[in-house]
Amino acid sequence: MTTTTDTAYAPATEALATVLAPTTRPPRPSAWSASMTFGWRAMLKIKHVPEQLFDVTAFPIMMTLMFTYLFGGALAGSPTEYLQFLLPGIMVTSVVMITMYTGIEVNKDIEKGVFDRFRTLPIWRPSTMVGYLLGDVLRYFMASTVILLIGLLLGFRPGGGFAGVVLGIALLLVFSFAFSWVWTMFGLLMRNEKSVMGVSMLVMMPLTFLSNVYVDPATMPGWLQVFVNASPISHLVSSVRSLMGGAPDMGEIMWVLVSSAVLVVVFGTLTMRLYNRK
Amino acid sequence: MSTPVTAAGDLRRLVVRGLRRDVRVLDGLIVNTALPVMIMVLFVYVFGGAITTGSSGLAYIDFVVPAVLLMSGGYGAALTAVAIAEDMTGGMIDRFRTLPISGWTVPAGHVVASVIRNVLSSAIALAVALLLGFRPVASLTDWALVLALVTGYVLAMSALAAVWGLLVSSSQAAGAFSFVVLFLPYVSDGIVPAQTMPGVLRDFAYNQPLTPIIETMRSLLLGLPMGASGAVATAWLAGTVVICVPVAAVLFRRRTSAR
Repeated sequence: MTTTTDTAYAPATEALATVLAPTTRPPRPSAWSASMTFGWRAMLKIKHVPEQLFDVTAFPIMMTLMFTYLFGGALAGSPTEYLQFLLPGIMVTSVVMITMYTGIEVNKDIEKGVFDRFRTLPIWRPSTMVGYLLGDVLRYFMASTVILLIGLLLGFRPGGGFAGVVLGIALLLVFSFAFSWVWTMFGLLMRNEKSVMGVSMLVMMPLTFLSNVYVDPATMPGWLQVFVNASPISHLVSSVRSLMGGAPDMGEIMWVLVSSAVLVVVFGTLTMRLYNRK
Repeated sequence: MSTPVTAAGDLRRLVVRGLRRDVRVLDGLIVNTALPVMIMVLFVYVFGGAITTGSSGLAYIDFVVPAVLLMSGGYGAALTAVAIAEDMTGGMIDRFRTLPISGWTVPAGHVVASVIRNVLSSAIALAVALLLGFRPVASLTDWALVLALVTGYVLAMSALAAVWGLLVSSSQAAGAFSFVVLFLPYVSDGIVPAQTMPGVLRDFAYNQPLTPIIETMRSLLLGLPMGASGAVATAWLAGTVVICVPVAAVLFRRRTSAR
């Protein structure tokens, strides 16, 4: 009876050197590079699930047409006249409403387990979150452009010209980026995407309707005016309206910029704390 | 074969099932309680001061209440399509087919439960309107006719929703019907006067079924002259129910026998 003894194969150092990368370990990606990569991932998601763009295209178009033609005559005498007042507001409403999808996407990725993979990577920790938001900024820009084009077709004529429109949209994108951090926090807090959507709708519906988007607050009861005039959406609409109208209201614009910074500092910090604890 | 007595018992149980399910599903409960309140407050306080009611000369709250009553009941009624589609696609229907019950009682149970639930939803909207300052001058007979109109509208929408729910293949597709029903009152003489709308929309608003129903309710609640709107409203509602109920029964029989 013969026995064979198995000896572990140990490759020679020279043989190993030929298959292993001879260069030094690649450097860690910068914060910017990592964020842009995750931003690109968010954009690829849009490419693969184009139905997502319904909220960016069809919904704003429907809202613009509905309010212009159904309510325009009763609210301002004629649809075209009402459109000059309405369009910046509808743009703000539509873009701010779709900020909640950031939280929903974050929550989906957590449920799928993708987040656990990301956390093992040698990257700047907030880059996953920043990436989501950068990808979403593209969606916000698309929504703004769609509404602007529809508005121009229907007869919207901004007094601020091209520069006023560009600055108005830029301010809207800055605020929306900042506001999205609120939903990333909820995306990390809530158990499922339905809960995230429920909470966000509960916040967004009163904020958008109880504002100066559709009607002048002066026509509302006194107690409601107090709420409407204090609403962040009202401040944002007033500043975008002033930029597009060609008479920038610096007080409102500063309010929006400061509140955007506060939102990023507060909710960005909370989001990252929750993310690190996950 | 079931007798009318056992069929009535089956129907009662299925109606109770439908109502119990509504209480347990949080989304549905919110729709039936919060939506009427939100719509009423939104239109009266946010838009009310800015909208002119045209030649009617009515206060906006008096002008808008009939439309909001129909919106409150109609949206929930439209969700009957989702409930039926869920039963048809979720395997529940196979359970029902093994039971000694009359087939027609399944969609009928959904429709009756919807009528009960959504008439209550409209009642909530009316209570909110009264709190906000709506002051109708209707007699007891007028109130009975208003109740009949709201019930008729909810019944018609529920029956139409049942047909839609039996036609589509998924609950998501069934949900699309609720958006149509929610949108219809906007393109009527209910939220803003149709005379303020552009040509094509104005023509549609004057000739769609909701306008005569709303005008009839307005006349009954505020003591205004009715004209022909009462007869037109009744014809629309009766016609919808008479067509949709047998169509739903036929569709249900076809869907269940083809399995």
